[in-house]
Parts: sequence; C-alpha cells; structure tokens
Amino acid sequence: MKKKQGVRMDKYLLISVLSVCVGIFVWWLVTDGLGLFRSNVLPSPVKVCQTFLKKWVETKPDGATLLQHLVASLKVALGGYLIGALVGIPLGIFMAWNDKIDMLVRPVFDLVRTIPGVAWTSVMVTLVGIGYMSKALVIFISAMVAMVINSYSGIKQTKTVHLWVGQTFGASNWDLLTKVAIPSALPMIFTGLDVALGSAWTTLVAAELLASTRGLGFMIQQARGIFRLDIVIVGMVVIAITGAILSSIIRKIGDKVVKGGRLR
Amino acid sequence: MRAYEKNKHLILGAVGIFIFLCIWYAATKLTSLGKVMPDPVTVFGGFFKAFIEPIGTKTMTVHILISLRRMLIPYVFGGFFGVLVGVLMGWYKVADAIFMPYIQMLRPIPPIAWIPLSIIWFGFDEGSKYFLIFLACFFTIALTTYNGVHSVDETLVRASKMLGANDRQLFLTIVLPTTVPYIFSGLQVALGSAWATIVAAEMIRSSEGVGWLIVRGQDVGNMTQIMIGIVAIALTGLLITTLMRVLESKLCAWTVRGK
Repeated sequence: MKKKQGVRMDKYLLISVLSVCVGIFVWWLVTDGLGLFRSNVLPSPVKVCQTFLKKWVETKPDGATLLQHLVASLKVALGGYLIGALVGIPLGIFMAWNDKIDMLVRPVFDLVRTIPGVAWTSVMVTLVGIGYMSKALVIFISAMVAMVINSYSGIKQTKTVHLWVGQTFGASNWDLLTKVAIPSALPMIFTGLDVALGSAWTTLVAAELLASTRGLGFMIQQARGIFRLDIVIVGMVVIAITGAILSSIIRKIGDKVVKGGRLR
Repeated sequence: MRAYEKNKHLILGAVGIFIFLCIWYAATKLTSLGKVMPDPVTVFGGFFKAFIEPIGTKTMTVHILISLRRMLIPYVFGGFFGVLVGVLMGWYKVADAIFMPYIQMLRPIPPIAWIPLSIIWFGFDEGSKYFLIFLACFFTIALTTYNGVHSVDETLVRASKMLGANDRQLFLTIVLPTTVPYIFSGLQVALGSAWATIVAAEMIRSSEGVGWLIVRGQDVGNMTQIMIGIVAIALTGLLITTLMRVLESKLCAWTVRGK
C-alpha cells in the first residue's frame, strides 16, 4: 500500500509540505511578523528553535539542561516500564491460561484498570514521598495494566484448532502453552509493549507535572510558572519526539522477533 | 448450560473481589501498612457517606457530576469535529494532504503535556480543561474515522458507482455503515483517555471534582480521602465505558465488535 502511494502521492506530498509551510508562516506572522501575540502568550517559531538549541547547554531557569531533564525522565519511565512488563506479561499469560484464576482475578483487575495511572500519584506520594520511587511505582502500575490486558487477550485468541492438534499429538499443558499459545500471542504481546510504553510515558509526564524536581514534565511546569512558553513548547516537542522514537524502537524489535505475525 | 456458565463467572468473580478485599483488610490490620493505608471498610464506608456528607463544600454526587460535565461537553465537540475531519480526510485526498501532517505532528504529544500551555491560554477555569479534553478526543477519533473510511471495500464503491449511485448515496449506504464501528471504537478509546486527562487536569489545578478529591487528600495527608477519590474515579470510569459499550451494541447492532 505504501509503495503504491509513494509513486502517485507526489502531488499530495507537495500539498502537505505547502500546508506545513503555510502553518509555520502563519505562526510566524501572528507572532514576530505582525506582533499580534506576545511571547508570553505564543512565542514565535524562531524563538522556540533558539530555545531548543540553547536549552541543551543552559540550566536556566529550572536548574538543569534539556539533556539532564530528558535523562531523568527516561530513567524513571524505563525503570517502571521494564518492571511493569516483566510482571505484566507473565501475569496476563497466567490469567488467560488458567480458567479458574481468570474468573477469580478478572473482575478485580477490571476494576483496577479503570483507575487512570495519574490517580495513583497521590497514593504513591503519600506512601513513599516525592522521588524516584513514587514515580516509578505509578509508571509500573500503568505499564503493567496495559501489558496484562494485551498478553491476556493474545493468549485468549489462540486458535482452538491449534490447541486440539497439539493435544492430538500428545503435547502436555506446558508444551501447549510454550509452543502454541505464547508464539501465537507474541504479536499481541508486542502491541502491549507498545501501548504500555505510550501509557508509561504519558503517566510519567503527569507524575512529573504533579510531583517532581527534575524531568521534562517538571521543566514545562516550571516554565509555565514564569511564562516562558518557548520552553513549554520545546518541552512538549521533546516529549512527543522521545515518545515516538521509543515506540518505533519497540516496533522494530517486534518486527524482528515476531516471525510470520502481523504487527500493525 | 449457558446460564450455569454465566453464574459460574459471577460467583467466582464475586469470590475474587471478596478475597481481594480480605487481603486488603488483613494487610492493613496485621502489618505496618495499616499506619498509612486505610482498610476497605473505612474507604467504602467513607465513599458512600460522601454522598450525604460533603467533602470540601460539595457532596460526592456533585463532585462526580462536575467532573463528568467537564469531560462530556468537550468530548461531544471533539467527537463531532473528529468525525468530520476524519471523514473529510478519508474521502478527499487533498484534505488528507493538508491535515495529516498536523495530526501526525500533534498526536504524539500526550494530552497531559498540554496542561501548562492550556493554563496559560485559557486560564485556570473550565476553558483550559475543555481545551485539553477536546485535544484528547479529537486526534484519536479523527484517526480512527479516517482508518474506517479507508477500510471501505473498493469493490463495493466501484460496483455502486457503476450502478449509478451518486455521492450522497455512496456515502450514506456504503461508507457510513463501514465507518461507524471504527468511529465507535475511537469514541470508546477517547472516552477512556478523556477520563484520565480530566482527572490529571483536576489534580493539577481545580477546586472541585474527583481529581481534586485525591490531590486535596494528598495535601492534607488524608489517605482515606485519596482512596475514596480513587474509588469514585474507578466506578465512574467503569460506568461511562459500560454505558458507551451498551450504546454501541444498541446503535450498531449489525456489527458488534469482539463478541
């Protein structure tokens, strides 16, 4: 599908490029060009670019460079995310494979998963205080929930016929799980990894807005306080780009690992 | 047999929840967790009591309704414009080329990351919350609608064109029925993220609503109130997503996803 578009999309690609250029020009026009908005309401694109470049070396006004904030955020997000995945995937598989456990745990789980990750921030801050631990725990919960849901439905979607075939050839329950169910659930598990990453990253930003002393969310919250909207926008852009890069890494790994599966 | 299976689910599910509550109760009563964590009886007791006795200046019903209103008004707008733009982009290549780059650029920004900007643009009042929820819904719904329009079977379109259908007929009888399930799945996802976003927005700045309950509890170190807030958020979230699912199965009975 992509290839076909590539050949005959040229005209539309041009329109897209034009559209973005017009957008940026209008942005420039209403800020620097005509001065309709001042920089504490809407900074000009030039200013945002300058700030983006400067913020890599400058610690003003929030006490850390962009890189330091980014690393702080990544540490928390990836820490919570990895543990969430390590716990969530086996839990989801286990829940889906064992009917009794499924029926016992599912309602509790369904209740817990309706709680947005952000809401746990208050609990964790009260329990362990503001710091690495509370944020990592919040992210752990939100990543784990997404992982459980996806690996659970991955296992549940195993074709019954495949299981029957396995049974006919004398596979044990363990064999059925490791050789039939888990491989066929892998695409879903990777979708889960992707979704969990998204929710971990979003939750991290929220947690940092609420309770933190470093990180991208902290940076934009601080900048908001002193009306440095250029930093706010730079922060948002970095958050978006980092999220997109992380998610594309997961997808790349997924494509490598999943053989014969369809990953969206 | 079916009835039995259904009952088995219910019974085991109830047992599961009961065991969960027992573990929670035991953990708070027997270990040092009890010092910081209230037991489930206190939490649920407090939750139901809050319907009569106000927390802050308002009862639980008012808190929940305020949060719901904050969420639903921009949700409706976001849904409307999302569907509109999604259909336009799906149907007209030019619209696709014009809008798609913006959607692709803005969508990776988590709605929550817009909070500082929205506060500056729209102040601390309802405006900034409406803006956030609108963003949280719009992109999701626009993209799912777009995918829906693209999933229309080319053969059907060509066949109906050959049989002399005009654009309106084509749209109403072929494109729309194919797209509606996609729209609903977008609406469903957007509802979840809108609810999460409104909670976050209320936690960052507000003076009432369910998110406020939690953050207020945190400020005064009242764990019971935090847990009451979480119960309220979970139950309301469950309620609205269930309602949405029922609505979907009623409105597009011809193609219920999943089951």
